[in-house]
Amino acid sequence: MIKDQSIPQAIALTLAQAIVLLAVSPAIVGLIKKVKARFQCRQGAGILQPYADLKKLFRKQPVVSTTTSWIFTATPYIVFASTVTAGLLVPIFVSQMPLNFAGNIIAFVYLLALGTFFLILAGLDAGSPFGGMGSSREAIVASLTEPAMIMAIFAIALTAGSTNLSTIVHRTALLEGIVTDPSPHLMALAAVFIVALAETGRVPVDNPATHLELTMIHEAMVLEYSGRYLALLEWASAIKLLVFLTLIANVFAPWGIATSFTPMALSIGLAVYLVKVAGLGLLIGTIECMFAKLRLFRITDLLGVAFILALLGLLFFYILRS
Amino acid sequence: MSWLTPHIGTQIVDFGSAMLLLTCFAIVAQRRLSACVDLFALQSLFLAMTAALVAFLTDTPHIYIAAALTVVVKVIVIPRVLKGVIERLNVTRELVMKVNVPASLLICGALVMIAFFITQPIIPFGHLLTRDSLAIALAIVLIGFFTMISRQKAVTQLIAFLMMENGLFLGATAATYGMPLIVELGVFFDVLVAALIAGIYTNRLQDAFDSVDTTRLSELKE
Amino acid sequence: MAIPLFLILVGYAAGVLLPLCFPARPRIQNLIAHGLAAVATMGGIYLGMVGLLAPDPLAMSVSSTLPLLTFAVRLDALSSFFLLMISLVGLAASIYAVGYVTEWYGRISIGLLGSLYNAFLLSMTLVVLADNGFFFLIAWELMSLFSYFLVVTEHEKSDVRYAGLFYLIMTHIGTAFIILTFLLLFQGSGSFSFDAFRDPGHPLPDNMRTMAFVLALIGFGTKAGIVPLHVWLPYAHPAAPSHISALMSGVMIKTAIYALLRVYFDFFGGHFPWWWGFVVLLIGAVSALLGVMYALMEHDLKSLLAYHSVENIGIILLGIGAGMIFHSYDLDELAALGLIAGLYHTINHAVFKALLFFGAGSLLYATHTRNMEEYGGLLRRMPWTGGCFLIGAVSIAALPPTNGFVSEWLVFQSLFLSYQMPSLLMKFMLPLAAAMLALTGVLALTCFAKAFGISFLALPRSSHARHAEEVPWPMRVGMGVLSAVCIALGLAPMLVIPFLDHVSTSLIGRSIADKMLALDGWALAPVNVEFSSLSSPVLGFLLVATVALGLALVVCYGGTSPRRYSKTWACGLNLTSRMEYSATGFVQPIKRVFSTIYQPTVKLETEFLEESRYFAKRRRFEFHIEPLFQTYFYDPLIAFVSGLADRMRIVQAGSLHLYLAYIFVTLVVLLMVAL
Repeated sequence: MIKDQSIPQAIALTLAQAIVLLAVSPAIVGLIKKVKARFQCRQGAGILQPYADLKKLFRKQPVVSTTTSWIFTATPYIVFASTVTAGLLVPIFVSQMPLNFAGNIIAFVYLLALGTFFLILAGLDAGSPFGGMGSSREAIVASLTEPAMIMAIFAIALTAGSTNLSTIVHRTALLEGIVTDPSPHLMALAAVFIVALAETGRVPVDNPATHLELTMIHEAMVLEYSGRYLALLEWASAIKLLVFLTLIANVFAPWGIATSFTPMALSIGLAVYLVKVAGLGLLIGTIECMFAKLRLFRITDLLGVAFILALLGLLFFYILRS
Repeated sequence: MSWLTPHIGTQIVDFGSAMLLLTCFAIVAQRRLSACVDLFALQSLFLAMTAALVAFLTDTPHIYIAAALTVVVKVIVIPRVLKGVIERLNVTRELVMKVNVPASLLICGALVMIAFFITQPIIPFGHLLTRDSLAIALAIVLIGFFTMISRQKAVTQLIAFLMMENGLFLGATAATYGMPLIVELGVFFDVLVAALIAGIYTNRLQDAFDSVDTTRLSELKE
Repeated sequence: MAIPLFLILVGYAAGVLLPLCFPARPRIQNLIAHGLAAVATMGGIYLGMVGLLAPDPLAMSVSSTLPLLTFAVRLDALSSFFLLMISLVGLAASIYAVGYVTEWYGRISIGLLGSLYNAFLLSMTLVVLADNGFFFLIAWELMSLFSYFLVVTEHEKSDVRYAGLFYLIMTHIGTAFIILTFLLLFQGSGSFSFDAFRDPGHPLPDNMRTMAFVLALIGFGTKAGIVPLHVWLPYAHPAAPSHISALMSGVMIKTAIYALLRVYFDFFGGHFPWWWGFVVLLIGAVSALLGVMYALMEHDLKSLLAYHSVENIGIILLGIGAGMIFHSYDLDELAALGLIAGLYHTINHAVFKALLFFGAGSLLYATHTRNMEEYGGLLRRMPWTGGCFLIGAVSIAALPPTNGFVSEWLVFQSLFLSYQMPSLLMKFMLPLAAAMLALTGVLALTCFAKAFGISFLALPRSSHARHAEEVPWPMRVGMGVLSAVCIALGLAPMLVIPFLDHVSTSLIGRSIADKMLALDGWALAPVNVEFSSLSSPVLGFLLVATVALGLALVVCYGGTSPRRYSKTWACGLNLTSRMEYSATGFVQPIKRVFSTIYQPTVKLETEFLEESRYFAKRRRFEFHIEPLFQTYFYDPLIAFVSGLADRMRIVQAGSLHLYLAYIFVTLVVLLMVAL
């Protein structure tokens, strides 16, 4: 696909994608918090509050524990880098990404795993029991989401005939060569949605607003961070959430995305994208208010359901043919 | 309704069957009994809608009656009875399971695959519209049977039995466009009576053992 | 080819003999043994490259006086690949060993150790070069024997002796099965030379071929460490000195993979039914999953690494099994992909496993203990070891941009492309195998996060760890070389693929090098560029660029205030190492979730204060995992064999007259039969 575009155009598109990721992600986090606040019958902070939080955190002086090593201060950069790189592989407002050749969904999943690995190490680095606890719990949750994600990916890849994200989105948007039976796609969508909730640390898997020892997973790993390191990690987690929402929106319902490079198509693509992720953010906020966080050992039940859903999607693809 | 070509009709019937199977798995994954009852009601509703669609597409009016009966008996009456039982006995969830949820989900997945493999030879001979639903019907029957074996509370076992009956109805609709009306009426009344009897016997279990755990029945021989 | 080979053999032979000539001068013995090994391995690397670049195999033979035995060697693509792998890891190990064996000066004979080391490397080289069945068996047996002697280096410890004995018994059981396989092949061809095995005069009937398949799988599988024949690995690999463990785990078990490829693709000509590949795939998936699950529960760092070898052999067999299945359905492009994936993982695993064992050896050298629960905080005291171990850990966890990621990605692709197959069963089973591989991969990530995190981070948990020092420079160089190779193999797969394709072409006959690389080689595009593509260097570049972006954002938003240092908050108390998470605690959720496989038993004893039962004076926590294979497979088998032996003991009554009677009766019967 890179042959269809010139190098400057490709670089411009990639940069634009990175800017959208960086700029929109705090707003999505703010939107979810606002939705939760309104459900709880209070005003809540503004949607743009996370931007102010980030700005504040960048300026603050970071405090680093004497027990830690260089892993601790390097991890925020590595997590940020791997999350943004994974985000560059997912089509956002253009269906034909210049970086399509660089990686497919498997590369996407493992890039995010790179961030998880270093975050687990950082949790252990400070030597506090909270960090170790968070790392241990994150390890088991990550272990159970991977098989479900891979099976769901396979089901999607079968219906679209490719594992490259741009190719899937482009083909689905143009409805070319797609098997039109909706059942496999729906099963895969349900599975990917549950996996997205688990990976981004949302209720019912993990509560992003808690700092109680009993309940935190992601928050426990970043507990010792402050200042610019915490800012990078918060931003990275917001970008991860946005990337998963983008994945769900654009792989399963990509209509509206720009399939050509005219300015009109690009602006429509961007507008439709913002509407879609805002809608998904609203949905997640609602789900967070409807359900309680599950006990750690009940999360296995939920992720088992996700795996079975993905497996069913695969079975339905092979069996249900007209 | 010219857009409702047989091709699209098949896809909608397939979709309905897939939703049925999905609710089966949701029941297997659930621990709270009232949620199980709600999911069962939802499953029966999907079943009725799918049956009605099949009736519409194939022009067999007696399936409409069966679908209506399904709605009345399995979506309204039986869930009410069961909810009453649950409230009276104050039993809300399945605490101890012989086979834990992920393992039972995996076994049910394997049962679905077995059902698909078994019905592979039959499928080319089936009627065009609902041949894929036959595999799903068999899968639902097997899953219902397995759930009956692996759960302990009488209410869950009853729901599993009713789930098997749902699967049988789907299978009959898929294979032969419904059974003769007399047979279906008979089956429905049997099911209704079974549910009522089970409600009574759950009460008796509670009175005898102060619990609705059917494994306690083995104490009767002492 | 003759001259380099001769020089290599001379080099190793000198390495075997010369160190023994300088008794009581350990430094000279060390330098001579490992220097000669290094030179010989460099020759091996050169010869391997020559063999991979040569279009035709090179062969040479010397007959001997014994019938059926000729000292025939053959350097074809497959042999060259494995020779290259052996020599590369051997070179790194030789450099590493120069520093490592200094620990044993005066305690054991360094000359003997160095001599056995060279003999071990020589025997492995001969195994992959042998072109005659008998020669192969001799080389194989020598390899097993020399590795046994190396395993029991520290024979004063009883657990080392036990491990060595266990290893010896298991490997000889395997050798017995291998001998049976070769005898079957001999039946069909009438000669023991591999050329005859390739074109048998009387091809074997189908049931004989099946038997040969099973015998070869069991025989070579014992050496490779497939489940359930893996039980010797976690004993033998930790007991051996670390550079030997690296060679055993990284290279010796791969010779079994070489042999399996040789037997299935070369001797059987690639004509086998689909279920052979399916069995290999299944064994691979089960080995991978069980290997990593048992690895998670280990606290001896070297046992953990040994179990990971079982896991990685499983992944290699997944790729090879998929290749076999595709080949039996005549989907040769996909078969080549599966084989390339398996071979790539073979060399990747050799490199990063050796690196990790070197790291474990360095930790053992510095702290004199193998128990992870006594490490901690070592990254600050041993930064070089820690950095190299981190690279090894990231590689084995299959994270981009390292080599482990590329090979696991290729295995995934070959499993995903199963949708092109005609068989419905395969279309279900291969994605399920992919799901098991995904679970394995993420559990391996967890395991190495634990291994690195507990060993190198936070506070030291024992006085050993508090006083650890960085290791001598040869050990650092050995680790550094392998780390560089890991990164290189990960960032430049396009340079490696053509060689692997040459090997798979020699086995299957279909080259897919042009289909594997897209965009002038910048991207890997297995078979179909529309289906999937991966560009490792671009991903690496993107990661670096986004780190720079992060730094730029930090500067841009004013985040330049210097760090302030303070102690970790420990609820008001002074932070001690007792407050950190331990390795046991880290894997507790996994133990609970997968308790069906582990069947753990937990014992907790508490001693309370006399005054009040609310305060505990001392607690003792023990937890055991049921060794499933020992209890359900080996113990009944051993009981059966012992019972049989007991019953046969009646024959040996101890009476001289009875023995004379046996001889007499046998003689009479034979004389009568001869009539």
